[in-house]
Amino acid sequence: MSAAKAKMREKKMRNQPASVQYPSPSHVESRAENGGEGDDVRVTGGQSDAHPSWKRQQTPPVRHGWVRGHHNGDGGYDTEMPNHITAGAFARARAAEVSAMLKAATELTCSSHVFRALPKHMRRRAMSHNTKRLPRRLRNVANRMREKSLQAGLKKKKELVKSKSRKARRRHGNLLLEFNRRQRKNIWLETHIWHAKRFHMVKKWGYCLGVRPTYKCYRPCYRAMSSHCLLQDLSYYCCIELKGEEDKLLAALTQLTCKEAGPTFAAAMFLSGARQGSVTVYRAGQYPSDPLGPVTFLWRPQTPGLTPRQLWIWAHPALKQDLLPELQSVCQCSEAMAPPVEPEVSRAEADPSPQAEPNPDNELKAGAKRKRCCKDAGEPPAKRILGDGTRLPTSPVTWRSSSTGIVINDLTMEIVRYRLIGPQSHSVLAETLEAATVCDELKSSPFWWPEHCKDRSNMKLHQQQTDVFNVLKGIYSSGELPPGTVLGLTVDDPRLTLPRQKVKAAPCVNRDQVGDEEKRNQLMLKGVPLQCCQSFLWEQSVRENVTDNKISEQELNRMRTELLVPGSRLGPGPQQGRVPVLLVHQPGKQVGDELGSWGSGWDLLLPKGWGMAFWVPLVYRGVRVAGLHMSLKHSQDKAAPHFPHDYPDCPAGSRFQEEQEAEFLETFRRRPPAKRTNYIKHGCLAPFRCPWQQLAEEWELLATDGGAERKGDGQTQKARKSHEVMEEVTSQQTVAAASPPSFTVLRNRKSLRLLSSWCRPLTCRGQRRGRGAAVALPLSDSAVTSFHSAHKMSVVWVRLTLLSKGKPEAHAMVCAPTAEDLKLFGKSPENCGPQEPPHKDHYKSRINHKKKSSKTATPSQVSDDPTASTDPHSPSDLILGLWPDPLPSVTSHCSRVTLGWVTQGDFSLSVGRGEALGFVSVSGLLHTLLRQPPELRGTLLLRNPTSLHYRFVRLNIDV
Amino acid sequence: MVRVKSRYLLCEINVSDRRDLLKLDDRAVAGSVKAAVARTHGDYGAALCSIRFCVKYLNAHTGIVFLRFHKGFYKLLWSALPFITSIECRGQIIPCFLNCLHVGGTIRTCQKFLIRYNTRQLHQMLPKYKNKVEEKRKIQEAILSCSLTGGGNKALEDELESEEEDDE
Repeated sequence: MSAAKAKMREKKMRNQPASVQYPSPSHVESRAENGGEGDDVRVTGGQSDAHPSWKRQQTPPVRHGWVRGHHNGDGGYDTEMPNHITAGAFARARAAEVSAMLKAATELTCSSHVFRALPKHMRRRAMSHNTKRLPRRLRNVANRMREKSLQAGLKKKKELVKSKSRKARRRHGNLLLEFNRRQRKNIWLETHIWHAKRFHMVKKWGYCLGVRPTYKCYRPCYRAMSSHCLLQDLSYYCCIELKGEEDKLLAALTQLTCKEAGPTFAAAMFLSGARQGSVTVYRAGQYPSDPLGPVTFLWRPQTPGLTPRQLWIWAHPALKQDLLPELQSVCQCSEAMAPPVEPEVSRAEADPSPQAEPNPDNELKAGAKRKRCCKDAGEPPAKRILGDGTRLPTSPVTWRSSSTGIVINDLTMEIVRYRLIGPQSHSVLAETLEAATVCDELKSSPFWWPEHCKDRSNMKLHQQQTDVFNVLKGIYSSGELPPGTVLGLTVDDPRLTLPRQKVKAAPCVNRDQVGDEEKRNQLMLKGVPLQCCQSFLWEQSVRENVTDNKISEQELNRMRTELLVPGSRLGPGPQQGRVPVLLVHQPGKQVGDELGSWGSGWDLLLPKGWGMAFWVPLVYRGVRVAGLHMSLKHSQDKAAPHFPHDYPDCPAGSRFQEEQEAEFLETFRRRPPAKRTNYIKHGCLAPFRCPWQQLAEEWELLATDGGAERKGDGQTQKARKSHEVMEEVTSQQTVAAASPPSFTVLRNRKSLRLLSSWCRPLTCRGQRRGRGAAVALPLSDSAVTSFHSAHKMSVVWVRLTLLSKGKPEAHAMVCAPTAEDLKLFGKSPENCGPQEPPHKDHYKSRINHKKKSSKTATPSQVSDDPTASTDPHSPSDLILGLWPDPLPSVTSHCSRVTLGWVTQGDFSLSVGRGEALGFVSVSGLLHTLLRQPPELRGTLLLRNPTSLHYRFVRLNIDV
Repeated sequence: MVRVKSRYLLCEINVSDRRDLLKLDDRAVAGSVKAAVARTHGDYGAALCSIRFCVKYLNAHTGIVFLRFHKGFYKLLWSALPFITSIECRGQIIPCFLNCLHVGGTIRTCQKFLIRYNTRQLHQMLPKYKNKVEEKRKIQEAILSCSLTGGGNKALEDELESEEEDDE
């Protein structure tokens, strides 16, 4: 019984008389109080005092609620009985009983109001509000109760009430203080408040991020991505700056990557600084195992005067904690440098600490006085936190190496990064940004731009960049540019050109000039010329100058009011900021044959502090804004793995998987057992996670074991065989218990290309379709064996397109079809696919049995149970509908052999069919492909965890 | 109204030696009632007696006991009560018989009846008693302490105060 229920019961039974009996020695505590019964029982004073048990009775009785159980105990009883009774005692006993009964009969047993004592026909509406509606005899009591309840309400309210009025709390300075206090724990992006008003926010990776808007916009967001422009704030990505000699930097960084997995940091295209590159980083020298995760990187173009190179590595915040120590170790940067004492940075970070805790004296005084106090003290107004508010001001952000001279600088939250996705993102940028106007003042000023304007070469560069930017306006789609193109630019304050109403940025259509056409073609073919990739955003001093000299919104509005013609545009004067920005082209879908360069766009890199100044003008150009949810969908439509969801071999990915499993399990357990999906009956071993390691190990064993009987004729036999093998596996595991090598994700481009060509079906003429035709090695036993020996224990990222209807879900199983399935499929490709026979849930009966036995029998009887002694799982571990750990063989559990699982699946709006992304075991895939007829190669089965229906899918490995 | 209905029997246990009364406890009373019913009505009666039968209250000083029976067959069970001649309690057999004073539909009516019954008894007792002045004064005190007037409201207020203390 719950505590509340017991309390209610106690309250109800408080006035009821308990039995009055002669207490047995162990009975004392169960004797309930009974309206002065203690006095009454002392029948004849002196005599009873002699007996110890009587005395014990006078001790304040322990309230035991409604428990009036009987305790056995009748020793030493006779000696304590009184010998005679008197009339007085007789009368007193009666009198005590009467008073007890009186109390019970007249008082209210229920805990509620007085008028509940009234019969129904005498009750009136709103009686609790107006006591005059009560009969007069009850009025006093009701009044008192009402007062009491009012007071109680006041008391509670008093605790809630803030010391300041709402007006005071909402005053700008105080609001800022409050915001700064709330930013201590999780970093807020600069657009946080804008997002918090419109998005479901979530605290993730130490940031407050918007997941999805509160309004419905799934399809509009997709449309924006595919036809106009979608905007995301990616400032939470961490930027790590590396400075040093080029050869030393490269020597350090090559340990982290491998050429086999694609172009690395040292690729000439990236090294020049003209393109942004992306690479998967491994632990030093560990390729192909121990990957850390994907990063994008950008080299600063070489300037003639500057020998040390500068490199920015952008990493996901979940990856940063792994990446940063690794970088420090490969660069041998162990010396932490004290944070710079420059006033800008230190103030922005150190300011809030004294401001966050306002003076307690000020707090207590009345509003007017507090105001005066603040003015008298002359405190500087609270400053907004820019950058990382959670970091301690003393924690180091820079590390230097004495031996190699490399400096690692953590630029987290120093640079704002906005991502525009969609073919029209360049026109949005072109409308929002305007190349900075030159100001030719001769006298020196604190702003950086007039100083730069004095230098002729700077001006020449600026002119070139402006030209390129103007040409950029004319291109048809953002996807036409070479991937990763970088353009540096200096722009005016975009708030000056803010339209009065939201407009939708349209592509520029006037293509009249002939010269432009040529330039445009040049731009699309060769990208931005190398010298135009330079930007002053790379310079820390310029960044700080720009951040400090930003005109506040208030000041800007004041200047607007002073305009001669109201409503006209504010001209860019010298005091208005010029902002150095970097535009980085973001390639769209690069892999696969369909929908090339879908979802391409631009990244806009800004110095910190200017986030909102650019955000609002961008939003006013009719872009859609999306959160984390859409970025997942974006990568899904691009068929690209999304970090950290689709990197199960990375530490961040495995952490993410654990969190996700716990989350799913939690929601699953919240349902009543009868309403849960019974995954055991569906033959789904792991509905909330993907045991990749187990899958890889099992297939490894199958492949080595099954090599001898390659000629084996069917999958069914194989399945049976695999059963036996699995028995072996489990036995071996228990015996050896040696940790086998962990699985790897295949990222070797050459092997992927080969595998991809093998997966494609042959056309009728025996020709392979697609691009990989030339390089393909024919699929044969020997080729497979050599491939397999090169990539043991690996899984491969695949895209699965459903051939009929159906919507794949996460953790769906990818299975190999049997020969009969393929025959059926060959007859009618619209065939829906085979069914899995329902499995039997052996655990259900065990759970039920356990429940029953625990109810009826004592624990000793349960342990006698033969099933319980053999069963390794205690009933508390068993969850109805889920397989308990350790899982049986995952490959051969169902009637079709499992090859892998889906990590993301949904109905793809871009393809118009269900599409799933996931990993399959390489050995399993090769094994399956060898057995399939060439025209149906790459046809697999997919089954959702909640369904018994297999659906045919086409497997693609996009390289 | 929709509820399980019961009948409450307010019985008086009469014993020859009043000291034996103090030895009674509710479990013993319940046992003897069950035994008597089983004896007179057999297994059927015993089965009926196991449904919602309960000794709600027993005062060992006055010998008052509340028995709860199911309303459907309380008459049958009641008919067995006169056959109780002794109660075995704490290893002793106490010769006694049960005298039913009141049958009520709720425990509250039984309580009300008991109040009336006891006060009447006390009032009857007072003029008869002539031995000792001190004893007589005690009886008077007892009568005064349980007078009905002014009891209700004061008690209610007491309760309110105690509640307030609880809330603190």
